[in-house]
Amino acid sequence: MDLLTPRPQMTPLLTNSVLDRLGRLRICPAGRRTSRSRGEHLSGKGGMSTEFCDYRDYAPGDDTRFVDWNIFARLHRPYLKQFHKEEERHVVLLIDASASMKFEGKLNLAKPLAAAFGVMGLLNNERVSAYAVHGASEAPERLPPCRGRSNLRTLFQFIAGVEGRGDAPLDQALELLLRHHRGRGVCVIVSDFLTFGDLQRGFNLLYAAGLEPLGIQILGPTEIEPDLSSDLRLVDSETQETLDISSSADLLTLYQEYRERLANDLALLCRRRSGRFLSASSATAVETVLFDQLRRGGWIE
Amino acid sequence: MSWGGFQALSHLWLLALLAPLVLFYFLKLKRPRAEIPSLVLWRQVLQDHRVNSPFQRFKRNLLLLLQILLLLLLVLAALQPYWRGGPGRQRRLPVLVDCSASMGALDKSAGSSRLEDAKRRVRAMIDGLAGDQELCLISFDHRPRKLTGFTNNKRLLREALDGIQVADVVSDLEQALRLAQALERSEPFDEVMLFSDGNFPARVNVDLSFKLNYQRLPPAGPNLGITAFSAQRAATGGWDEFVQIEGSSDAEGNASVELFEDGNKVASERVTIARGRAQRMVFQTRGDHAAAVRVQLTPDGFDSLPSDNAAYLDLPESRPLRVFVPKSLVSYRHALQGMQNILLFPQETSDEASGAFDLVISDRPADMSLTARARLSVGFIPSELQRFIEFGTNGSAVVDWRRDAPVLQHVELADLAMLDQPRFTAGAGEGDLENLDYEVLIHGQRGPLLVRKQDSDGLRLALLFHTDRSTLPYRVGFPILIANLVQAAMEQAGLAEALASRTGVLPPLRLKPQGRYQIQTPAQTTEAVVADDSGMVSGVAAPQAGYYSIRENGVEKRRVGASLVSPSETGLAGVGQIDFNEQLQVGAAVVAVKSDRPLWPSVLLGALGLMLVEWWHFQKKPGGWR
Repeated sequence: MDLLTPRPQMTPLLTNSVLDRLGRLRICPAGRRTSRSRGEHLSGKGGMSTEFCDYRDYAPGDDTRFVDWNIFARLHRPYLKQFHKEEERHVVLLIDASASMKFEGKLNLAKPLAAAFGVMGLLNNERVSAYAVHGASEAPERLPPCRGRSNLRTLFQFIAGVEGRGDAPLDQALELLLRHHRGRGVCVIVSDFLTFGDLQRGFNLLYAAGLEPLGIQILGPTEIEPDLSSDLRLVDSETQETLDISSSADLLTLYQEYRERLANDLALLCRRRSGRFLSASSATAVETVLFDQLRRGGWIE
Repeated sequence: MSWGGFQALSHLWLLALLAPLVLFYFLKLKRPRAEIPSLVLWRQVLQDHRVNSPFQRFKRNLLLLLQILLLLLLVLAALQPYWRGGPGRQRRLPVLVDCSASMGALDKSAGSSRLEDAKRRVRAMIDGLAGDQELCLISFDHRPRKLTGFTNNKRLLREALDGIQVADVVSDLEQALRLAQALERSEPFDEVMLFSDGNFPARVNVDLSFKLNYQRLPPAGPNLGITAFSAQRAATGGWDEFVQIEGSSDAEGNASVELFEDGNKVASERVTIARGRAQRMVFQTRGDHAAAVRVQLTPDGFDSLPSDNAAYLDLPESRPLRVFVPKSLVSYRHALQGMQNILLFPQETSDEASGAFDLVISDRPADMSLTARARLSVGFIPSELQRFIEFGTNGSAVVDWRRDAPVLQHVELADLAMLDQPRFTAGAGEGDLENLDYEVLIHGQRGPLLVRKQDSDGLRLALLFHTDRSTLPYRVGFPILIANLVQAAMEQAGLAEALASRTGVLPPLRLKPQGRYQIQTPAQTTEAVVADDSGMVSGVAAPQAGYYSIRENGVEKRRVGASLVSPSETGLAGVGQIDFNEQLQVGAAVVAVKSDRPLWPSVLLGALGLMLVEWWHFQKKPGGWR
């Protein structure tokens, strides 16, 4: 192959250069949550891997193959060598594909970010599954768990095919996800987290299911810095409900307080469940989010 | 007592505009729809905002409320609210403004005159005039002038007020009040406002039928002025000019007095005026020719009223008195021949008697047509009295006589016997004579014996009995009577004394019959007059002190001076209380009149401010959902 000929773009979601950089990165969850299935992640419990973990006293019945005979020769007491257990980790991608994500390119940032996490999972031999939730009454679009580089294209196709519609509250979306999912790992939630529901219950369910919540909130520029004049009738893009507001400096100040409070609450929800949280603007480039904000925050390395 | 009210409550119907305002607001209120991702945050924000802001419900429709408030303010302004200034409020109010000479007095050097103070107060009243109130402006000096009818046209009232000028004449409050009473009969009112410095008699002979609000203006500064100026023929044939200088109660100091004859200064004198005292002085001039004399007073200090600092006198040429007495009246001719400076016609040597006379004494009615300023008819009844007086058949006697009459001074008429008997006709009386301006000087048993009439034609005396058929020529009083008559004739002819003509009306002028003249006033205005058949011009208004030039085709024919010479005007005394008939007294108001203060300009300003607030609220940043 001619080295000067550019490689064809693998996916419109991420450029090849980003993909190359992602190939050298991996997800760093705060906790160690893995499935029993054998994988490449060390389990907290002892296992049969080649990586030494610790010694313990020999107990009758233990497999004598793990006795460290060199120590026995020096101390005349049998000690048993222990090894790390390598287990499989699930990377669950939850994309909020409701109508609200269509605004100001929020979904356009959410999809590459989810794809990036999926790429990192697949390239690190983790089991990756993806869900795109739309409406409360609509079953989520689902990519069954898959593993390995060979499933990259499948992942890309799934994520690229996600379109924004519906009015799925995120708390209900989490419950829908857990109906289908089995396995421990991390759950990357890419959403604007603007829901009337109680997210605490959904996060608790996630935690209980062994999924570490990694929340990425994507907001549009006008959601971060709204600009009002005169009187407006705001229409909810999902529910079509309306709300009349009058321009007021006090109102904007209060809005900012509430937005920051929401971000803080979400961060607290995640932290209390060994997770992480990041709020980003949809105007931010995906590279900036990935290789600056997430990497600086220790999400990936 | 209410503190205010509304002048146009009928405009309350404008409140009905609230309905279309609200209607149009909600019809027009089409909020721009802005689709946003989610209402989650906004709903919480609004909820919190409403909870924390007690006026949030109010602020939801702040624009509507601002518009309603704006409309209410405009309606309030249309109702013309006012703040009550005085204790009462009159719908019709005549305002009398004194514009006599004393109203021109200044309070200080380069200060404001009393009239300007009065104008300022009246202007404030006009400015505060309500829509249902009407003022009638009346200015008065020696006569009242109705400047406007009852009107609330402020422009008209202001123009009329600005047109009021000080006239150098004395004030006559009675006439002004009578005019107000006449107005009341056609357009009733309860109160009359009077603005004056109080320089009028304290006693006013008027029966007040309305309340008089007497607004006395603050006193003026010190003033010195000429209060009398006259001349009397001296025994030497010249003139003695008498000048009296007085001042206001607080005036004192030095002044110089100068006498000008035909524009040339002939004498000057320094005088010192003590407070409350008058200074009299005499100047002597030769009387060999007619002269226009002016005396000028120049105070050393501040003088508040300049119009009384000059006085004018027209001195006639000295000459013998021309008297016509027919030769038949021997006793009269005999008495006159013993007097000096008398030319008696017809002379003894001839019967010729022509031209104008100063005195005509005759028992022939035809002689009464001779030109003379003084006439005495003897023994016949003047034609205009023949309806009321006739001759009886018996003799008569004197019952009483006017001892204070100039003609009868020092004349003793008791026990006078006469053969004629003038008596009143049936049903006639003294009142009928008075209606013809005749005054009875000697009363007989059945009727008058001597009557007197003074008018523009001069002095007319009528002895209704013939002296030849009485004992009068044999009485000591007869030559005294003739001497008095000669003195009266000299006064009529201006040969005995001359008085300064007062302002108000010029003295009758004898000019060319049917002549057309222009009279130029001291204020440089011109008035056209036409002399009557006898060449008399009378009734010419002279509101300003100074020389009045009588011109014919632009050429000055004569010059007449008019002087203020009024002790009351010069004294600047102000009456604090006016006594009316029936023991009614009106005191000067202690506080100045306060007119109702209209509040609608303030309300309109408030509305304008509110409109700006509304505009600012509507336009203020942040602006618009991008």
